[in-house]
Amino acid sequence: MAEPEYVVETRGLTKSFGSRTVVKAVDLRVPRGVAFGYLGPNGAGKTTLIRMLLGLTRANGGTMSLRGLPVPERRAEALSRVGAIVEEPRFHGHLTGRENLGVVAAARGRDAFERIGPAIERVGLAHRAGDRVKTYSMGMRQRLGIARCLLADPDLLILDEPMNGLDPAGILEFRNLLRALVDEGRTVMLSSHILDEVEKTCDQVAIVDQGEIVAMGSLDELRGVDQPRVLIGVDRESEALRLLADAPGVSSANVDDGVIHVTLADADAIPDLNRRLVEAGIRVRRLEPVQASLEERFLAITSRLEDSE
Amino acid sequence: MTTAAATAPRLRPFGLPRAETLKLRKRRGLLVTVTLLTIVPQVIAYGVLVILHAANPDHHGPAGGVANLGGAISALILLGSVAAIIVGAAAGADDLNAGVFRELVVTGRSRLALFGARIPGGLLYLLPFVAAAYTLSALVSGLGNGYLQAPSTTLLIESGIWVLANIAFYFVIALGVASVTGSRAYTIGILLAWRTIVSHILTAIGGLGAAREAVPHISFVRLAPAAIVKYVNEGPDIGTSVAAAVAVPILWLVVAIAVGAWRTATRDA
Repeated sequence: MAEPEYVVETRGLTKSFGSRTVVKAVDLRVPRGVAFGYLGPNGAGKTTLIRMLLGLTRANGGTMSLRGLPVPERRAEALSRVGAIVEEPRFHGHLTGRENLGVVAAARGRDAFERIGPAIERVGLAHRAGDRVKTYSMGMRQRLGIARCLLADPDLLILDEPMNGLDPAGILEFRNLLRALVDEGRTVMLSSHILDEVEKTCDQVAIVDQGEIVAMGSLDELRGVDQPRVLIGVDRESEALRLLADAPGVSSANVDDGVIHVTLADADAIPDLNRRLVEAGIRVRRLEPVQASLEERFLAITSRLEDSE
Repeated sequence: MTTAAATAPRLRPFGLPRAETLKLRKRRGLLVTVTLLTIVPQVIAYGVLVILHAANPDHHGPAGGVANLGGAISALILLGSVAAIIVGAAAGADDLNAGVFRELVVTGRSRLALFGARIPGGLLYLLPFVAAAYTLSALVSGLGNGYLQAPSTTLLIESGIWVLANIAFYFVIALGVASVTGSRAYTIGILLAWRTIVSHILTAIGGLGAAREAVPHISFVRLAPAAIVKYVNEGPDIGTSVAAAVAVPILWLVVAIAVGAWRTATRDA
């Protein structure tokens, strides 16, 4: 069977609790072999969407597929190669790490038992696998959660806020582990409200707000790299603004707080703008390309900006 | 590979029922509780009887015999059913309470299979305690009867099966209730109240007439081996047919399993 282009695909996926709709007709496509960030503020419906994908709660409308298989119709087959952590990974505290993996392996089948040792080894818990999980730190539980995911030899890992509660060293370690999994050809879909985490870990992103996807694409697309910007400080603003607005390669120009903000159709136009100003006798004291950030884009398109105003 | 990993014991593959047994077996508190409610009372009771008989044979009869077996079984089914309720509640609610249920659901394994595995898994844990306690009673009653009538082999076998069935019944009921409530504490509270108080009150209310036959204890008394009935009957004599005595516990079990399975299959994990 040909591998599907998208390992997660939803169409019009909807979930309501009473009169409150928390996931609104979501069309999501997660390509194979990438780290995909599902980014949104708290309460945006990220966890609910993940819970629907995994069969933990029912959808009120729409369709979804995992690994090209429709769920819930072919849920067992679809989830056989999916590893997931929803919210924080939970375990029986009175069992050891290895025994906890054994309990899940019993649900997954004989092959999963063969993967227990390598999975524990991979996440660096071999020295503690025989200890009761209630003695584990948060970071160790997260790693054990990943080990549990690996029992499925997953095509797809779905991780809900996986770096919550980790210290900086733990976050770095976790990020490296996720990238290594992607490098092996696996797909990692992680939800997060932490922009920095998504920006440093993911290749593709969907931004969700109030239950709706408001943007989706590669990081560069979402940052707006295709529309580079430059800040220009000059001594004769009005004259400079007229010159810049008419210049080739300029999409728009406006003055804000004594600085001209220029949006370009082509980043290569920046030297020409400088030359044009200098030739007109205008002294340029600042010429600063703007490094687009996901944070600006995120705040611009989510309701958080409205809330903060 | 690190030294720790190389020397770590490997888990031999096991199925879902064994996983359920593992979860129960590793609970130290549960292990102590079940031992205290099954084996320990038998050891204490027979120990006291043996010591008293040895110290003063004229005043205290032998520890064995049918009468002492009946008394031991009466204690075992009462305390054993309490143990069964506690174990059933743990088997039914612990995955939910620990948040592990959703981790099992995301494996893609059928929720009904997850629920179904709890029954053999829990019985595999509980019944060896009950069997051990009963075996002790059977041995002492058969070997230490002295001048008292010794129980026949048939009586010992029938009584053993009856004890195991009685206690397994309460385990399954507790499992079903716990799967519905999702709470170990509520389940234990509800079923202990039922087992020790409510069912006795209901059977004592003559006005309820034949409706009292729906109380499982009445059925179990009816099905008990004749030689021990007078020891295990905790209330008034209520006549019921064998057919009804078989049907009532089965109906209770079917309902408990059905609602437990339904709730497990439909609840948000």
